[in-house]
Amino acid sequence: MTDDTFLEQLRNDARQLQYEPDDVMTTRIAARVRARVSEEAAGGVALILARWFRPVVASLAALSLAAIVGVGWLELSPEPAPGLDAVSSSQTVDVSVGGDVFSVE
Amino acid sequence: MMSATSMFGGASLGSLALDRSVFTAERAQTRSAISEDPIEARAITAVKAGDAGSYGYLVTKYTKRVVSIAWGIVRNAADAEDLAQEAFVKAYENIARFKTGEPFGPWIYRIVTNLGLDLIKHRKRFRHEEITDAAPAERRDRADLPAITNELAARIDRAIQSLPEMQRIVARLYLVEQFGHTEIAAMTKLTEGTVRSHLSLARGKLKEKLADLHGGNND
Repeated sequence: MTDDTFLEQLRNDARQLQYEPDDVMTTRIAARVRARVSEEAAGGVALILARWFRPVVASLAALSLAAIVGVGWLELSPEPAPGLDAVSSSQTVDVSVGGDVFSVE
Repeated sequence: MMSATSMFGGASLGSLALDRSVFTAERAQTRSAISEDPIEARAITAVKAGDAGSYGYLVTKYTKRVVSIAWGIVRNAADAEDLAQEAFVKAYENIARFKTGEPFGPWIYRIVTNLGLDLIKHRKRFRHEEITDAAPAERRDRADLPAITNELAARIDRAIQSLPEMQRIVARLYLVEQFGHTEIAAMTKLTEGTVRSHLSLARGKLKEKLADLHGGNND
């Protein structure tokens, strides 16, 4: 028997192995698909927009939360001691040259 | 069974003419019959225009075949049912991309095959979790097997099941589902050469296992 003949015979015999879903299963599939398709159709543009905007809104909400927590933490933390820059920038030195007084920051 | 008309409020149903034969000529006739189904073409046009109800015709027409393909890949009735459902929903979501006038069958078959292959990959990835549950899973799979009363069919089924994964899937699509090489290549995203190669390897192994069935030998 050639390979081709063997495969053809096998193909004829194997055809009966096709899975036959029962009526309950086919009805259930049709009903579920119908429900989901109806949902899609009813949602339409609103659904698509919701899908796109949901992650954007979620990201913004997360950022807002982080900002609120950050500001709150800064407000609660003790006032830091002024650094050298802060001291030097807030104090002025008066220099008198030839009767004129110059204020140097 | 509930008809598509009653469930989706769509057009009347036509008969499912998807039976593909061994021979190319018959297969060509079948393909032609699908593409020339005027109700199907009208249903697709209507769905594209926003009439979701017309989708029922396509679901009813292709459900059995889609489930059979899915079952052949995952060998589990519950998973096959879920895959069929997902395939139809996915096809609906992408119906705008579907070329009007082309048969719906090959498209939905491709979708369900890809979903099935993805599920297998997922199962492999998490196989370690299944090791402890191997016995119950095996029992469940066996319980889902269709009643194969015919001893010949049972032997063929066991022989196909014993093949390595891709050989098994390609062999089943070719032998059981009666698809051609080109169709299998399109469904599995493999090249036609790879499909032929898988089938050739499968044939050798099947011939060894089933040599006595068809009076064949290994020459």
